[in-house]
Amino acid sequence: MKERLVTTVNGRRIERYVDPSMRLVDFLRDELLLTGTKIGCKQGECGACTIIMNGTAVLSCIMPVMKAMDAEILTIEGLEKDGKLHPIQDEFIKGGAIQCGFCTPGFIMGAKALLDENPSPTSEEVREELSGHICRCTGYKKIEDAVLKAAERLREEKDD
Amino acid sequence: MKYLIANSTTEVLEFLKEAGGTASILAGGTDLVLDIESGKKKADVLIDVTRIPELKKIEEVDGFLEIGAAATLTEIHSHPLVRKYFPSLVKACKKVGSRLIQNVATLAGNVITAQPAADAGMALSVLDPRFVLVDEEGTRECYVDDMYAGFGVSTLDSGRTLMTKIRIPLPKENEAASFQRLELRKSLSLPMLNVAAMAAIKEGKFEWVRLRMAPVGKGPVRAVEAEEWLVGKEVSEETFERAGELALENANPRSNPLRGSKEYREATLPVMVKRALLEIATQLNVMEG
Ligand SMILES: Cc1cc2nc3c(=O)[nH]c(=O)nc-3n(C[C@@H](O)[C@@H](O)[C@H](O)COP(=O)(O)OP(=O)(O)OC[C@H]3O[C@@H](n4cnc5c(N)ncnc54)[C@H](O)[C@@H]3O)c2cc1C
Ligand code: FES
Ligand code: FES
Repeated sequence: MKERLVTTVNGRRIERYVDPSMRLVDFLRDELLLTGTKIGCKQGECGACTIIMNGTAVLSCIMPVMKAMDAEILTIEGLEKDGKLHPIQDEFIKGGAIQCGFCTPGFIMGAKALLDENPSPTSEEVREELSGHICRCTGYKKIEDAVLKAAERLREEKDD
Repeated sequence: MKYLIANSTTEVLEFLKEAGGTASILAGGTDLVLDIESGKKKADVLIDVTRIPELKKIEEVDGFLEIGAAATLTEIHSHPLVRKYFPSLVKACKKVGSRLIQNVATLAGNVITAQPAADAGMALSVLDPRFVLVDEEGTRECYVDDMYAGFGVSTLDSGRTLMTKIRIPLPKENEAASFQRLELRKSLSLPMLNVAAMAAIKEGKFEWVRLRMAPVGKGPVRAVEAEEWLVGKEVSEETFERAGELALENANPRSNPLRGSKEYREATLPVMVKRALLEIATQLNVMEG
């Protein structure tokens, strides 16, 4: 039996009837066609499906869709503003922190949640906070650097 | 499947009664969602308890720290009161999976899942916690040894009973606790071995010690022999050494292709016990770490 879901995704209010046994990631990808959020393992092990829900980074692959009820959801598609990429996205590109790109949306959402909460993390903190994300291409160092660079830029933008 | 979002404890009990045993309480879902998928658990109705304000509270009440059953591990390990009183619990909560898991997983769920190696439940087990349970018949309190029925099996039936909070007595000045974990890597890997301890030290001697280990049996297993022997013993390297040997008498670790053989676990267990006792002695300034 379908149930009524009301939620907000990237600032847009959405009302749908959904199968409650569905995972949130499938709802985002298959029903809302927001395919930026990836599925790597569907077991909570890789971080590819990370989104931000009510300000917190969560794994959408092991989350029942109904947990989105009345929530504010942000996916990778919601980051750019007026055609301009978010500084974290920009620094990932500039710093070569992307190779195949499969892990990137998850990493960027994890990094966004981290920097919203802690604008000046140490590299140790970046490593610990993002340890739930797996990347098989970059070797992580460039990702860590990109996050620290983005943090710097975001702090400067705030001061301006 | 039906999904119900409960707004109060009373509502949970109504939903549970209506479902007549076919429902299951859902917290973060990091175990339950995967267990339902693999067929290990069944539920026609899921009752989401994470929006009940009363279950989210973390507060100090009459000499106890009370942690609501729906508080997430992140909410717990970042809370000033938990950091102040229970650093070993903070350490263990941070070991569960990754930050992404901790952001939704609960301590209550970690206990009820009853996996012998569950990190947070393990660190909690030596802190003398009381679990507050509510069902049709009323409210009752349970202790650690009442909670574990077997490997991955809790005595609590989540189709009938709700855990509302966990109450932990605040430590006295001469008491401290420790959590030690033997691991393959720092995140996203289950422990090879866990040891948790709490002790009171007076005039350089152990007044009492609570010592538990996992995975060496059902739930967090008490090292009874070591606990009893330690009472009244001088706080020293030799004492820790002997306690480590005695701990083996209550441990029956299994071989795991990923997380260590029986022999390896038996060889490392005494070292973990030693480290736990040393850390307690260091925290209480009885020894230098
Ligand atoms: C990728 C991954 C890595 C992990 N790594 C670790 C690790 O390193 N160490 C570790 O210890 N654990 C690990 N876990 C498991 C850990 O996330 C869970 O044990 C978690 O703590 C369970 O909490 P939850 O809120 O998600 O519970 P849920 O999955 O919601 O529930 C678990 C069980 O408890 C019952 N339940 C929950 N709350 C209540 C309540 N209030 N009253 C009655 N019944 C209740 C449910 O019905 C269910 O049977 C990992 C999990 C994943 C997916
Ligand atoms: S797809 Fe969600 S953690 Fe891998
Ligand atoms: S860039 Fe390929 S997995 Fe990270």
